[in-house]
Amino acid sequence: ATENDSRMMKYRCSGCITIRKPLNSRNFSKLLHSCLYQCDHHKVIVEAEDRYKSELRKSLICNKKILLTPHRRQRLNSES
Amino acid sequence: MFQGQRGWFCRSVGRDLTQFWVDEGGMVSDAQAADFLFSCDASHPDTQRIYQSLDYLEDNATVFHAYYLSAVANAEIKNSVALGHFVLPPACLQKEIRRKIGSFIWEQDENFLIEKVREKI
Ligand SMILES: [Zn+2]
Repeated sequence: ATENDSRMMKYRCSGCITIRKPLNSRNFSKLLHSCLYQCDHHKVIVEAEDRYKSELRKSLICNKKILLTPHRRQRLNSES
Repeated sequence: MFQGQRGWFCRSVGRDLTQFWVDEGGMVSDAQAADFLFSCDASHPDTQRIYQSLDYLEDNATVFHAYYLSAVANAEIKNSVALGHFVLPPACLQKEIRRKIGSFIWEQDENFLIEKVREKI
């Protein structure tokens, strides 16, 4: 697996080198987004996923606008 | 190694890898309660449901390839394996990502990694 090892050495952003801090599915994406320098590998993945998310968000808003609006309003009222 | 951690496993993940997780102290949970989301196939309906969830939209749910677990089983120092190399993006993005960065880490040595896990169990 030496080829694998050398590949891993090329990557050097916090998405790559953070091993001591407890990373998991819940905090990884936020860590990457807050990382000032992203390696090529993570940069490409983050950009692609962000684009996917914004498209999905748009389609969700179109489909569920009518459903979501009263719920949102209710929550805002109870918060104030 | 995974003491007190909850993991969700897509049905695309082989039993060997799930068993390794449990042997290392991990618990298996549903997707909502899980700290870790593991899949071997981004196009599996179980995993696609994650990619369509609000958690995912809000950057609260990264899916990792379950070969992370075989890399851990394989490594001399277990916590030296970087989880970050095993991000599994939605299937519809993989072609484009591959074009830019070459193959994913979890696409290499697949058979090698799996065999190693079998040896350990
Ligand atoms: Zn990186």
